[in-house]
This record gives sequence, C-alpha cells and structure tokens, in this order.
Amino acid sequence: MLASILASGLAVGAVYALIGITYNTMYSTSRVMSFTAGQLGMLGGVFGSLFMLRLGLPWPVALVLTLTACALLGVVTEFVAVRPVLKSLDQHLYVLSTLAVALLIQNLTALQWSTEPQPFPRLLEMGSGIWDEKYWLPVGACVVTIVGLEYLYRHTLVGRAFVAIAEDNFAARALGLPERNLRIASYALAGAVGALAGFAGGQLLLAFFANGPLLNFYGFIPVALGGLGNNRGAVIGGILLGLFQQAANFTVGGIFSSVAVFTLFIIVLLLRPQGMFGAPVARRV
Amino acid sequence: MTITRRGLVQASAGLAAASSLAAPALAQSEPIKIGWLAALTGPSSAPAVGFNRGVVYAAEALNAAGGVKGRKVEIITRDTQGDPTKAVNATQEMISQLKVHAIWGPTNSGESLAVTAIMARGKMPNIHPCVVDSLIDTTRYPNAFRIAPSNAQWDDAVRGYTLNIAKAKKVAVFGDTTGYGVSAANASAAALAKDGAEVVVKANIDATQPDMTPDMLRARNAGAQAIVIWSVSTGMIARLLNTRATMGWDVPFIGHPSLASGEIGTLIDKPANWEKVYAIGYKSCSYDAAGKLPPRNEELLAKLQGKVNLQDTLLWWVACGIDAVNLVAKAVETGGSSSSESIIKTWNALKDYPGYFGDYSYTPTDHNGFPVSDIVMSAASTGKNGTFALAPGYG
Repeated sequence: MLASILASGLAVGAVYALIGITYNTMYSTSRVMSFTAGQLGMLGGVFGSLFMLRLGLPWPVALVLTLTACALLGVVTEFVAVRPVLKSLDQHLYVLSTLAVALLIQNLTALQWSTEPQPFPRLLEMGSGIWDEKYWLPVGACVVTIVGLEYLYRHTLVGRAFVAIAEDNFAARALGLPERNLRIASYALAGAVGALAGFAGGQLLLAFFANGPLLNFYGFIPVALGGLGNNRGAVIGGILLGLFQQAANFTVGGIFSSVAVFTLFIIVLLLRPQGMFGAPVARRV
Repeated sequence: MTITRRGLVQASAGLAAASSLAAPALAQSEPIKIGWLAALTGPSSAPAVGFNRGVVYAAEALNAAGGVKGRKVEIITRDTQGDPTKAVNATQEMISQLKVHAIWGPTNSGESLAVTAIMARGKMPNIHPCVVDSLIDTTRYPNAFRIAPSNAQWDDAVRGYTLNIAKAKKVAVFGDTTGYGVSAANASAAALAKDGAEVVVKANIDATQPDMTPDMLRARNAGAQAIVIWSVSTGMIARLLNTRATMGWDVPFIGHPSLASGEIGTLIDKPANWEKVYAIGYKSCSYDAAGKLPPRNEELLAKLQGKVNLQDTLLWWVACGIDAVNLVAKAVETGGSSSSESIIKTWNALKDYPGYFGDYSYTPTDHNGFPVSDIVMSAASTGKNGTFALAPGYG
C-alpha cells in the first residue's frame, strides 16, 4: 500500500516538477511567469497521442516531433505574449497576455482534438504493478531533464549565457550577449521541457484538453515552494507535492485532498515567503 | 352602387362571422409544429444526435402514413449547443414567433433548468429526457413531462442491483467534483445507508486527477464489496478501472450509464479491465442470453435497418426520440386538438402508452412517466448496435 502511494506520488510529483521547471526556464530570461506552462504539458500528451495513435509513428519519432512542436509554440508565445509586455513588467500585463495564449491553446485543442480524454499508448511495454512504466517514466524524464539542464548551465557556453541573463540582464547585455535570441531559445527549451512532462506522464494524464489548467495550478506550486527560478527547489517541491497529494487522497480523499494541499502551500509560504530554497531578495533602501 | 352605413355594418358583421368560422378549419389543417431543442453540436451533443435520428425517423413515418388526422408533423429544430443561453433564446422564439404546439427537449439538465420556467409561463406542452429531479414539479410546471428516468429512479435501480443482486453490504460511492457528481453521490450514499448498506467510503474525485491508486486503496482497505459510480467523466472511470486491474482487485463497478460509454473501451489498458462493470440500462434496449431484444424493439430494429445508423449511438436515444414525437402526435389525435390545454390534458390521462423506449403513464400529479421497473443494469462492455446485454442476476 505504501509502495503504491510512493510510486503514484513520485510519478505525479515528477510531472509537476517538470512543469515547475518549465515555468522557471521561461522566467529566468524574461522575468515573466508564463501561464502557458501547463498547456505545454497538456500538448505533450495530445501531440504524443496524435503522432503515435492517429498517425502511427514510432514513439521516438513522435517524441522528437512533440518536443519540436511545443518548442515552436514556446517561441510563438515569446513573440506574441511576452515580448510586447516586457517594457512594462511592473504592470504585470504578462498575466493577461500569457493567460490569453493559454486559453487560446486550450480552446483550439478542445475544438480540433476532442473534449473527451483520448488514449495515450504504452511506450516501452515494461513493468507492471508499482514498477509499471507509467510510474517511472515521468520520474526518469525528470531526472534526465535536471541532469541535462545542470550540464547545460554549468558546462556549455550557451548555458552560461542563460545564467548570465538570469543573474543580471543589463550586465549581460553590456557584455554583448544576445539577450533577445537567448530569451527565444529559453522559451523553446521551456516548450520542450513542458512537452516532455506531458509525453512522459501521458499514460497517467491521458491526452485530454482539460489537463492544461490542472498542470498550470499544480505546476506553479513547486515553483512557489522551491523558490522562483530555482530548478532544484522545483524538483524537490514537485516531488513533495505529489507525495503529499497522493497521501492526502488516500487519507481524506477527493475534494478534501485539494484543500489539504493548498492549506499546506499557504502555511509554507507564510513561514517562508521566498520559498523553501529561495534566498530573500535584498532591496536597496 | 351606393355604400350605405347599414350595408357596411352588415358586410363587416358577415366578414367577421365568416372568419371566425374559418379559424378552426384552418387550425385543423395546419401542420402540427413540434419545437425540438437539440444540443446537436458541442461537447454534450452525443445524446441529442441520437435523439435526432429518432425524431426525424418518427416525423417521416407519421407523414408517410398521412399525418395525424390529415395534419402533417413539422419538426422545427434549433441547435442549442448545450448552452443554456441559446436554449432560452430558442425557447422564446418557439413560443412567441414560431407558435409551436409542443416542445421536445432540451436534452441536458443545465439547459432544462434554464427554460422550464419560461415554458411554464407560456403554458407550452413540454416533454424532455433530463434527469434532474426538480425539473418535474406538477404544481410549478404543470406543462412539463419527463420521458426518461429521473436521477432518483436511476439511483433506485443502482441501489437495488447493488444490494439485492450483487449482494454487497459494504459499498464505496465515488462521484466527480461537478455539481451533478457531488449531489448524485451524496443522494446515493444517503439512500444506501437508509436501506441498510454500510457506505465505507464516499469521495468526490477531480476528473483530471492523474492517478486513482489512493482512492481505490481506501476503498479496498475499508472492505468495499462494490463501487458505485456517479460521473460522466470517461477519463476518470477508465483510470479507476485500470487501477482496479493493477491492484488485482475484482470488485464490481455499478452506476452511471457513462460506465458503458464507448470512450471507456479506448481508454482502458486491456479489454478485461471492463469486466464486472454494470451500467444503468433499460429493459427495452437490452438483449437477453439469446441476443434478442424484447419483441417490440426487435421489430423497431428491423424497421430502422438501413435508415438509421445505430453504430455510433445508443438505441434508447433513438427510441426515445421516436416516442417523443409519437407522444405529441398521440395527444393531438386523442384530444382532437393541438391546443396546449388539450395536449396537456391528454398526457395527464395517459396510461401505459406502449413506446419503444418504455411504457409511459402520467397523471395530473405525477409527470415522471418512465416506469422504474424498466430500468435495469447492463453489462457495460457488451455494446452492440446501441444495445447492451443484461447484467448477470436478472432471471
């Protein structure tokens, strides 16, 4: 029983963590919380099902196509919803613009795909019970993503440029870094990470247009818990959220588990407003 | 010729008398106009698409046979898209501009809640298949008649099967988090407890919850011998069934007709996961061990062959659509008039009218015309031409 809850909690938590990383990746280069993150996760499942079940493509090809499609959508989001509002970040117009794009994506999916959940195929036909691939694939995807991002940020020039932009946008530009191009690249990267979350978790989430808002909400919590822009914090926050949520589903069930999750979320934020792993921001006075 | 005042008065009086005599004659020859509020597009369109096939078939059959006392049946359809606002607009158009004689629909409760009072104000004879109990109230809505079961009747059938045929004494009740899911699960749990069952778990589950393992573990640990489901979410139902299989548990699922939805078949991991699942069905549209429907509907199937597609819909939707049109025609034929008073009066006196979906009876104080005894449980995975096999346990 405990093993079942652990397997289920880790899997769900890994999906939330990946959506949290999607939020962070977009935030790091633009200072914008883009509410398209959950929709990218939803599209990961929908595109995966489309390419594999409707078009009959093998899963590796479908994965590449899904990541590419969502990366392109990330770029479109940057052009349509982020760039126009960057000059007035303090007015938080990006909340409206990114929410509008998110709603657009969701409604287009409902119209063009289906309003009913559609099946997502098994990928590797491996494992059963708590070792079923539907549980460990999201965890594996999360590990691969975090290792890949660490490598990118620490050992490649492009990655270091990302970090530089995230640390101090003005200084990075003064050094001649192509801030605009790096921002576009980070949105493409975020699109791919979000799509990977939906693809790896497709067997749990199914290909369903209504997954977008769910992932938007539950993907945001790890970001707030782990500290804005902190990927390691998002992963730990996501896994903890998944485990706590599944434990709450088991103990109190249904609607009350959501109440338990959000109560804990509020308590953590009251105690540590900067998140569990975020540093308090020093403000010059 | 000189026109005198007396001549003018006499001519006017004659004209008035002639036109008053002609009015009933005109009324007796005009078509019987039936307004059809159908959610033919949008997310909840599947039932109305099925009903519509029955409506079109019935109207064509009546007209081909010469109509009702020489009057043709005219169906005036408005696609409400499942939107209560559009349903309200269409209802007002039908009452005040199109002057229909009766309205069939809407086909989902959300729309019906919005239009029932409007139809009552307009004294419009209305027949609908919506399940929400409060939609039928002979005091507030003396014009509204239900042609399908109410939710309370569904609940009675599910509870009866769970307690008397599945012999479960410890029951878990799951609904989704919609208004319908919450109210139906609450009512079901209360009625089960009242009838002596122990409701070991009652939960409303978010239909998008990715994994159902914790909820199913709760039910198993609590000793549930049956799981009663109140949800239209096929994704949630399929996840529950897949989880049941992963756990190696064979507890029966009993409940909402959505358990038998074709979508479930595409979402479960393997066909065996859909075994021991019993959905609300109807005697008239359930086949026996020999694969035969009741004689009346075997005959209907033969008539529909080649004319109405049953592959992607349910027979009861089509049969119900046919019955709705026939009930209006029957009221006009028996009452001799298409006035709203006459139609309502005739329906109020209807006793055991043999429809294809059920045998309907109404009285002035009870407008739930579908007999509870006709509601049965179907084996959910046995869909064939829109019909299902009876669940085990029926003699």
